[in-house]
Amino acid sequence: MISFAACTDLLMTFVFLSVLLCLASNRLVILIKIMAFQGVVVSIIPLVLEHGQTMETVDLFLLIIMVLVKGVLIPLALYIAVKKVATLREVVPYIGYEASIFSGLVLIMAASFASSRLTPYLPPIDILLLPAGLTTIGGGFFLMMARHKAITQVIGYLMLENGIYLVGTALASQTHSHYMLEFGVLLDLLVGVMIMGIILYRVSSTFDDIDTGLLESLKD
Amino acid sequence: MLEIIILIPFLLGSITFFLPPGSGRILLVGAGLAHMVACLFAFMGYLSALLPDYFILTPLGEIVLGLTSLLFLLVAIYTVSYMTEVRMEAEAAFNGFMLLFLAAMSMATLADHIIVLWIAIEATTLTSAPLILLHQSKDALEATWKYVLICSVGIALALLSGFFLAFAMERGGVQVPLNYTSLNNVAASLDPLGLEAAFIFALVGYGTKMGLAPMHTWLPDAHSEAVSPASALLSGALLNCAFLGVYKTHMVLISAGLGHFSNQILIFFGLASILVAGVFILHQTDYKRMLAYSSIENMGIIAFGCGVGGLGALGAVLHMIHHALLKSSLFLAAGNIFLGYGTKKIARTGGMIRLLPRTAIVFFGGFIGISGLPPFGLVISEVLIVLGGLRSHHPVAVTLFLSGLLLVFSGACRHVMGMTFGRNPVGVDALPVKEKLSRLLPIYILLAFSFGLTFWMPKGVVDMVYQAAALIGGGQHG
Repeated sequence: MISFAACTDLLMTFVFLSVLLCLASNRLVILIKIMAFQGVVVSIIPLVLEHGQTMETVDLFLLIIMVLVKGVLIPLALYIAVKKVATLREVVPYIGYEASIFSGLVLIMAASFASSRLTPYLPPIDILLLPAGLTTIGGGFFLMMARHKAITQVIGYLMLENGIYLVGTALASQTHSHYMLEFGVLLDLLVGVMIMGIILYRVSSTFDDIDTGLLESLKD
Repeated sequence: MLEIIILIPFLLGSITFFLPPGSGRILLVGAGLAHMVACLFAFMGYLSALLPDYFILTPLGEIVLGLTSLLFLLVAIYTVSYMTEVRMEAEAAFNGFMLLFLAAMSMATLADHIIVLWIAIEATTLTSAPLILLHQSKDALEATWKYVLICSVGIALALLSGFFLAFAMERGGVQVPLNYTSLNNVAASLDPLGLEAAFIFALVGYGTKMGLAPMHTWLPDAHSEAVSPASALLSGALLNCAFLGVYKTHMVLISAGLGHFSNQILIFFGLASILVAGVFILHQTDYKRMLAYSSIENMGIIAFGCGVGGLGALGAVLHMIHHALLKSSLFLAAGNIFLGYGTKKIARTGGMIRLLPRTAIVFFGGFIGISGLPPFGLVISEVLIVLGGLRSHHPVAVTLFLSGLLLVFSGACRHVMGMTFGRNPVGVDALPVKEKLSRLLPIYILLAFSFGLTFWMPKGVVDMVYQAAALIGGGQHG
């Protein structure tokens, strides 16, 4: 039997890897698959952290919903959006893939540094949890800024949410109302992506392709 | 049952989607009336919350709710008349989303629980985005995309603020419900590091929604591309709701004795917003964007007022009230101008005093008010904020504040004078759409409210203003 600590470390490593892979991938469909994987990993991290003991039925139920939403529902919606509207199934970067991976590594270093400064103030948790969360937040912002397409911005936003969820878990692991927080994230994710999906559809039908570079007629 | 204030517009709004536009319009006004009656009952203390941990009437919440209700009713009356002049394909959806938007804003004003407030603010984004998109143009689409994406990122960061508050509670070893009222009561034993982090994220997160520079970039697009009645609500009501998020976190910090930290940040972002608005207003070519930048300026003034504290905080609350009334009246007047001239370009409007005389009076009156000139209330709030700033020893900040105001005034003045008194556009002697009483009365009422409240406030309102300011360390002797 694998120990819980080893298991958590493995999951954290998966999170780091998924961020780097996202920065490196050049196909939208692959990007979505990685996001589905990341969603599942992020959702089950609390289960491993709690060592399976203090999980109440409600929490477990929410966890299953979360895995379904982050791992299946949202990736599926994104996949449909890509199939329906994107004529070019490629990620169009402002910043090249090699430079992106390099930025990802710098991000991990920065996140580890920031976490090492914060850790003394935090409740005793897995040492990789906070760096993983901060890296994911940073990676989300990076994807939103460094890629052309509207759909990559949505994916970046999803990654940002995953990161915030991880940081939240690190900060408030013992708070009684934490399933409330999960509920908030779920609600937001679901509705947010739905609306974004609709807009994506409209963006594509008006502009022929979902390139946000074309969205710059409004400015001062 | 306090929650009925949220339920009325929510249920009626859900029905409206399935009604033909004609009856939807009637329902819009009806729901506005019912909402206002429910609010009045709540203010008189007849309604108490079913879920007291989640919903509560706070002094500032009460003010914002009252303003929102009043604005919505007047905007609804205006909308009925406005919609007869423009053809909109999805009018049923527009009416429905207007009501859902009202429900979301009411929820934000009543929310006490951190996560409920957060969900409410996110809900305001999602319910108001369609109001911008329904315009169906390329620019509207771009504005909606920016609005949803930038505000969602802001809101996501605001969630971190909630996490940090929970963290501060945990480290302080306190066990209370996760709502602002309880946190405020035990503020002294909360962890300072967690509180400071919570405030930064709340300011960046809710500040994005409030339109503080440099997170304001979505605001001019969204407010100018939305249909005018929706712009009036976005500017007059929604920005106040987002301000509540900043205000409540600030309140906890003040109670915890960390006021100096949050004050500095508020002053900085407030000044940045005023100066950015001033620079961008100078060369504006679109009158709705000009009004939107003025909203950014005024949100900056409110943040600045909160930051200097004392008299300034009192001024900030007053400023919020009068800005809501005046700015929504200006956006509704802009709707009349758009109907008349059919363009949003300043250069292609002109001679309003001859072509749209009654709109010109309110537009110019509103401009006088929003610039902080008597006889409207902003003159009082701005003087209070300046005095507050001097009393709290911020001479440099006050100087920058005043020069920012002057910049905005001089920029906007040129445009407004041209639009109102300048020459008619070439070849235009009369406009196709005439002014109508139903599209003027709501604007006149809004101006009259601002005018009236400048000289006399009911005692209940005065008490609320003082209480709201006192919670963030404001008052006559602060």
